[in-house]
Amino acid sequence: MTYTHIPSPPNKSWGRWLGRNSRQGNWWAPLLIILITVVILLVTTDDFATSQNASNLLAQAMPLIIVAIGQMIVVVLAGMDLSVGSVMSLTTAILALDGSPVVLILLVILAAASIGLVNGFAIVRLNVHPIIATLSMQFIVLGIAQLLRPVAGGFVPDIVVTVVTGSVLGIPAAVFWAVFVVALGWKLLHGSRFGLHLFAIGGGAASGQTDTAHNFGLKDHRNIVLAYVLSALFAALAGVFIAGRIASGDPGVGSQFALDSITAVAIGGTQLSGGVGGLHGTILGAVLMSLLANGMNLAGLSAFLQGAIKGAILLLVVGLQSRKKMGL
Amino acid sequence: MQPAVTMKGVTKHFGSTRAVNDVSFEIHRGRVHALMGENGAGKSTLMKILAGVHRPDAGEITISGRTVAFADPREALAAGVSTVFQELSLLPNLSIAENMFLGKELIGRFGIPNRSEMGRRTAQALSELGMSLDPNTLVSELSIAERQFVEIAHGIKADAQVFILDEPTAALNAADVEILNTQIAKLKAAGKAIIYISHRMDEIFAICDDVTVMKDGTHVATQPLSELSPDGLIALMVGRELSDLFPARAKNTGPVLLSCQALRLSQDSDAISFELRAGEILGLAGLEGQGQSEIVRSLIGQFPAIRGRVAVADQSIGLPLPTEGGVRFMQNLRVGFVPEDRKEEGLLLGAPIAENIGIALQAARPGFRPLARFRDAVKRVMAEMNVKAESSIMPVGALSGGNQQKVLLGRYLAADMDILIIEEPTRGVDIGAKAEIYRLLRALANEGKAIITLSRETVELIGLCDRLLVIHDQRIAAEMAGDDATEHAILNAALTQ
Repeated sequence: MTYTHIPSPPNKSWGRWLGRNSRQGNWWAPLLIILITVVILLVTTDDFATSQNASNLLAQAMPLIIVAIGQMIVVVLAGMDLSVGSVMSLTTAILALDGSPVVLILLVILAAASIGLVNGFAIVRLNVHPIIATLSMQFIVLGIAQLLRPVAGGFVPDIVVTVVTGSVLGIPAAVFWAVFVVALGWKLLHGSRFGLHLFAIGGGAASGQTDTAHNFGLKDHRNIVLAYVLSALFAALAGVFIAGRIASGDPGVGSQFALDSITAVAIGGTQLSGGVGGLHGTILGAVLMSLLANGMNLAGLSAFLQGAIKGAILLLVVGLQSRKKMGL
Repeated sequence: MQPAVTMKGVTKHFGSTRAVNDVSFEIHRGRVHALMGENGAGKSTLMKILAGVHRPDAGEITISGRTVAFADPREALAAGVSTVFQELSLLPNLSIAENMFLGKELIGRFGIPNRSEMGRRTAQALSELGMSLDPNTLVSELSIAERQFVEIAHGIKADAQVFILDEPTAALNAADVEILNTQIAKLKAAGKAIIYISHRMDEIFAICDDVTVMKDGTHVATQPLSELSPDGLIALMVGRELSDLFPARAKNTGPVLLSCQALRLSQDSDAISFELRAGEILGLAGLEGQGQSEIVRSLIGQFPAIRGRVAVADQSIGLPLPTEGGVRFMQNLRVGFVPEDRKEEGLLLGAPIAENIGIALQAARPGFRPLARFRDAVKRVMAEMNVKAESSIMPVGALSGGNQQKVLLGRYLAADMDILIIEEPTRGVDIGAKAEIYRLLRALANEGKAIITLSRETVELIGLCDRLLVIHDQRIAAEMAGDDATEHAILNAALTQ
């Protein structure tokens, strides 16, 4: 009721820290579940605490972390990219072609950038809903990947395999990958004017003020297209990582990643309505999902049951976030 | 002295309608300039041209002697024009500082936004307004008043010379209006020009120096307010006097339709009892925030009263009513509730007029058997309410404030309610539409319906209502007939115990 003046609440630093009233979203729930899962695994299994399993876990989590960062860039804009899985498949298919590694890598970058451009233009110029635009692209790109390589096979250049599975001074390459993508993701989302504008445009979309960002002179269309290009490039990077791990091309390798990356982003507290989210939440979300898969494998759970548990966790965590509205 | 803003022959068309037609006038530094006119008179369009949202088709705007043509609002701000629009233009998920610097962020090392410097400068701009908000607070955590002050601070930070305030008090309570007025006085003393749009006569005369009146997109007059009386100003706007706005009161009233017994709003407040008779318009008057809104909202379950009973349509219902379903329950007893905030609570802005009116008819139907045909009812209501729209499938959001309010009232007309509970019958509605709404409400009462209403505008209650209950401190302080009521008497009754 507007009759009674309600003074604005004092800054509740705890609530802010936990993401209740901040733009970071609620990220403590995945952290809590990660800690619980780790404790359970430490107590119940012998294999979990080995350094072999730790590096295995990081390598398993890495593709999802990379795709989820790209996915988050478009989700902050109230968008969604369903084509990321196909981009990963296409990337492995391209890398398994005959040719020099440099040409193949350039081809991957070119393909991903074009896919992102088409996604962005379909959304901005043709006013196609992001789900439809990227779903169409998902089919198109998967088709191309399957044309290039109908079944898994071929050989990925040695250099790609080395960059992914090698180690420097005893530190596995995956650690360097992790540092690089997290730094890049932080820079893009939280450490740049571009990132701030992403949140501004997404916040406008979420609160029904679609003209506001534009009125501030932001180049909203250009930023949206760029976001989809970045999402595709992150997906391609994840594809390179996977190609290095399996050392061959596989058109089916990305099939789970579109929904898994959205799941990781949502678990991490990013609002699908746009404008709210934090990189750390997304990373926690991706780590949680990989950790659960790892733990359930160690515990010998059926793959079908694993899917059901993944769904239950998603519902539980997003339900726990209990936000009334964006930012409110 | 050179005027702050000079407009010469400014014209703007939207399709075939001429929203602003050959408007010329000057706005001076250190003065508050009221812009008056009915809704649709072209005030908002003219201000949007000045603020860079729209581009004029013809004419010339000069700011401090320089001819300007803005491509977007940011250019206007850079040229010294700051606007606080009715529709707020801050992003709720960004902090105050981020909003203030949006599009012009200060960039530090490695291209990383320099948050501490932006925060410092924001705090400085806020402190010039005497506000001590943390610049890192998200805008979503601010009250509406605070958001408006942040927008004004935005203008101060950009060193704006011209401030446009478009109905700044529409959503403010009395205390915040007071603070706003202080800020306006400060801006004025600093030699800024302020353009002030409002429908509230008392505000205009309290704080403005000059007035420009527009009508149907054209310029009617620009003169110092000291040369005008309220009646004279209204006459300029609509060509008729204030007393003509209100229709004649009820001659006689019928049986009691609703009675409220021993209603207590809080544990230690006095009991409130009143009756509402057929054919009468009952007003809840008094200072703002004394419980008027809580009383009417208790009746439909939107405020949790401690206890009380309401008797309506041969039923006696114990309060509090459940929050969910309370409105619908009372609607089935033919009691309609018209909320104050028509955009948030009243209308589905994106839905067509027909759906907005038909929804009350549907509410009385079983869930899976909606009414398929209600076009005739909609057509009848739109004609009766004189809703000005091209067709009934237009989205309500595209209508003017007055027409939106008529659609909202029309919804309950279509559902043939016996009792209407109306908060702010004419909020954000222009004078012409106000008069129409008063006539319609009186016509409904004359048909034997009963109306309870409350309003921030005491003049409106006095003119419209047959009987007034003066509410103070959550109790009835006095009851008076509309004929005897004056603003002075109401204030007196409220404040002398």
